[in-house]
Amino acid sequence: MKVLVVDDEPIVLKSCRRVLESEGWEVTCAPSVAEALTIIDHMTPELLLIDVKMPVHDGMYLMRQVRDQHPGIPIIVMSGYATSETIKEAEGLGAAIFLPKPFTPDELAKTLHSVAHGPLTQPKGETS
Amino acid sequence: MFYSTRAKLLAGFLGVTLFLGAVSLLAGVHLIDRNVRGEALTHVRQDLNSAHEMYLSRVRQVKTALSITTLGFAFISSVSERNTTDLVLRLERLSRLAELDFAGILSEDGRTLCRTGPYAFPGPGARGPHRLAEAVLDQRVPLSGTLVLERDFLLSENPELAERARITISGGSHAGTDGVRELTDGMAVAAAVPIFDAARLVGVLYGGILLNRSEFFVDALRAAVSHGEPVKGESVGTAALLLNDVYIATNLAGAEGRRGLGLRAAAAVQEQVLGQGKLWVDREFVAREHYIAAYRPIEDMFGRRVGMLFVGVPEAKFSHIRGQVLQFFILITLAGMGLAAATGIVIARRISAPIQWLIQASQQVREGSLTPDLGPLQKSEMGLLQKAFGEMVEAMGRRRAASELRIIQSEKQASIGKLAAGVAHEINNPLTGVLTYTHMLLRRQDIASDVRADLQVIAEATERVRKIVKGLLDFSRQTKLDPEPTDVNRLAAAVISLVENQALVKGVTITFSPGENLPRVTLDRNQIQSVFINILVNSLDATEAGGHIRVFTAASLSGEGAAQEGIEITFADTGCGIPPENLNKLFDPFFTTKGVGQGTGLGLSVSLGIVQRHGGHIRVQSEVGKGSRFFIWLPIQRRAEHESAGG
Repeated sequence: MKVLVVDDEPIVLKSCRRVLESEGWEVTCAPSVAEALTIIDHMTPELLLIDVKMPVHDGMYLMRQVRDQHPGIPIIVMSGYATSETIKEAEGLGAAIFLPKPFTPDELAKTLHSVAHGPLTQPKGETS
Repeated sequence: MFYSTRAKLLAGFLGVTLFLGAVSLLAGVHLIDRNVRGEALTHVRQDLNSAHEMYLSRVRQVKTALSITTLGFAFISSVSERNTTDLVLRLERLSRLAELDFAGILSEDGRTLCRTGPYAFPGPGARGPHRLAEAVLDQRVPLSGTLVLERDFLLSENPELAERARITISGGSHAGTDGVRELTDGMAVAAAVPIFDAARLVGVLYGGILLNRSEFFVDALRAAVSHGEPVKGESVGTAALLLNDVYIATNLAGAEGRRGLGLRAAAAVQEQVLGQGKLWVDREFVAREHYIAAYRPIEDMFGRRVGMLFVGVPEAKFSHIRGQVLQFFILITLAGMGLAAATGIVIARRISAPIQWLIQASQQVREGSLTPDLGPLQKSEMGLLQKAFGEMVEAMGRRRAASELRIIQSEKQASIGKLAAGVAHEINNPLTGVLTYTHMLLRRQDIASDVRADLQVIAEATERVRKIVKGLLDFSRQTKLDPEPTDVNRLAAAVISLVENQALVKGVTITFSPGENLPRVTLDRNQIQSVFINILVNSLDATEAGGHIRVFTAASLSGEGAAQEGIEITFADTGCGIPPENLNKLFDPFFTTKGVGQGTGLGLSVSLGIVQRHGGHIRVQSEVGKGSRFFIWLPIQRRAEHESAGG
């Protein structure tokens, strides 16, 4: 399973790669929206894990691009500071789930699993 | 311009008193004038009648004296015998007794037999020139009355009489235009009686009193009318006899202290009395002063109006009374004004003193004092005003303190919120790293147990950091309200059931008394629920086993500004209470009395934020050792401004 993680914070990218690779995911990391868009064009990820607040273009912009060009890719939105408006906007743009930072490895793994395989086998992660 | 209340009041009082005084003065003077003058006129008219009666009786006296004389036998025989020597003696005696100025006897053919005075025995040719004697001879009956005597007659009778009759007319003060002239005629009260000797007419006895300069007669008249009352040291009554319009006998004081002989009556008097034969009663200026005067005509025995009888009372007598009354009225008015001024000053002082205090007090308030000095409280409406003013300032102070507190509170929240949001956002990223790597390490089976224990500590500490940051975020998050009409009782009941188990474990009872017929309140259920939970859990934490918590709801008006309908939810516990010094800090973010790790100190702060965004407020009453009461007031309808404050 291929997942693209987009975040301007290296420590977040590093943490996600560390956890998800150990869970068996094929992880690609992008430190900016522009780079993420290039990567998506070359390899079509099965899942997107993206941060909301980023310089230049933010997560919302990226989601709109993905929705237009690659509809169907599930998106998990993560944020360190999410208001209900942000969450609503993200859901409106097609985000599957909202993951608040910080998260433990278990929380991250469960969230990705539930999005990729449906919440049948595992209960949903925290949603707010 | 500024007029002090005191001056206005004083002016008002004085004005009213002055007005009333002036009115009563005018009315009094008018009444006195009317009554006293009317009285005076009546009085003088009566006096005139008395004087006239006296005059007539004088005439009768003369006539009676003569008549009695003619009846004497010796007298008749002397006349018959023409014994003139005897007759003159008798005439002189008669004159003395009857106070006659002249007397004489005519023969039956009209010659003068003899008379009193220097020409006692005129020659045989001398005839009585007066018509009186002739009339008696003609009619053979006694006649009497007023008689005008010409100078010739007087001269022939007695030159002294002619001299007495002569009066200089002073036309100055009166209407007379014919200048200075002399009056030579005399006016007399006279009578003539026929003398019969056994039915044979033997002569006529005549006699009379010359009225010109007759002091005795006029003084007697005056005494009769004035009853001797003195006014201002002078005699009151004045009487006079006038020949035509000239004063010939009077006790009037004329110029240079002489009697007012020779004065002339006013033309109007002359016209009315002499011309028309009527009475004249009015105010008149005679000689030196004004009189209430009365005149009546005097007719001679032939029916001609030949003179006037005058009676007068100086007006000074009445103006004296009038002056006294006037003085009395003025005194009363002055006393009234004095009293009014004193009353006015006292009242003004009582009114203006508290006003001055109030003015000073409002100045103090303007300068920032909220405990102005109001001075002594009055017992009147002014006192109520003072009290109301004091209460108003006090309420103002309370409200200002409350709103200042609220402003500080929300400023604090806003700035801390921004800071918290920024910090949380920045911390969460590295925190993700810490959490990730700690947990990844813990997953490994190949680590020593002491290392694992250390890692566990890191994990737990990080977890705490995560909670704190989450609390910060909750606090700063100005989450938009999602309001819907809600049954507050049901919401409170739901919250209580959530906490009930926890309370049961602790040994604390929770009772709920829902208010009846409460309207539904438009609110964000989730947020208000979290407020209720927060406060209820706080109460539970503060209450020891065996204590209890009472929750009740009631309809209530907001206590501030324009009263607004709302609902108040009260949480009352029997816990440890809150020390007064902590009451103010209760809603500060991060203020907590709980142990480290037990609470973030954000709960009440967040709760207050939520309630305020609903347009409500939270009040706390607490007593250390007895418990605390939290009152949450929520408006039934939110005002528009609160809506925009959210989000």
